[in-house]
Amino acid sequence: MGLKRNVPLFTALGYKGQGPFLAFIMHRIGGSALFIFFTVYILALVGVPSMQGLMRNWAFQVLLLVFGLFHAINGLRITILDLWPKLIERYRTVINIEWAVYVLAAGFAIVVVLRGAFGG
Amino acid sequence: MASRTLPLSKRGMTFETFMWAFTRFTVIAMYGLIIAGIIGGLIVSAQTGSNLGDVLYWAFFPNMAENPLGVSWMTWLAKLMVIAFVLTACGHGVHGVLEIWDDYFISPISRRWARNIVITYAILASLVAIFKIWTA
Repeated sequence: MGLKRNVPLFTALGYKGQGPFLAFIMHRIGGSALFIFFTVYILALVGVPSMQGLMRNWAFQVLLLVFGLFHAINGLRITILDLWPKLIERYRTVINIEWAVYVLAAGFAIVVVLRGAFGG
Repeated sequence: MASRTLPLSKRGMTFETFMWAFTRFTVIAMYGLIIAGIIGGLIVSAQTGSNLGDVLYWAFFPNMAENPLGVSWMTWLAKLMVIAFVLTACGHGVHGVLEIWDDYFISPISRRWARNIVITYAILASLVAIFKIWTA
């Protein structure tokens, strides 16, 4: 089983689903990024120096925050909709609130990381 | 748009239903552990005069940082909480990765192999994490 979908990424991103579709794609990318992060984390725990260096790298931390925070916030939205299905009637509003929360949280976290990396 | 709910008894307890429930419960556990970890970290950092960031960094990377809490019940509690978080995160991730891979691995045999590889990896990674965090 499985669908055959030969849709280029940019065509997919232009799909009229907009916010909800972008949230779906970002959730998948975020999950994959966290899977990679988990592997790096385990290797750093084992004591691989390059992985420990990667964990300390500010660019890696920013990427992790961008995708990890979205995955966490979108996951919370999915859980809330699962627990209170009535909210599905306000789906677009919920998605918009999620994006607003994400932009604020990610923006704050990135500023903190960059301030730590470059001082000031 | 009308909301639709289907009771668990009518869904049938397949592997997918079980993993869906497992994924939901593990993510709720992760949110709980994050909240408990931040509150607990604030309490122990206040009691020991250490920095919250240092406590969290040491808790997740005990082999890369000095223990700011000293050897005490706080150390064991922090280690237990981090181990619980890593285990729930790993369990949660298994199904997520499988869902993504299922879109690209089409044949039943490749899907079975993908499932075996991810679950084996999760078990091994969890065991390594438990050992390294507990013994560091």
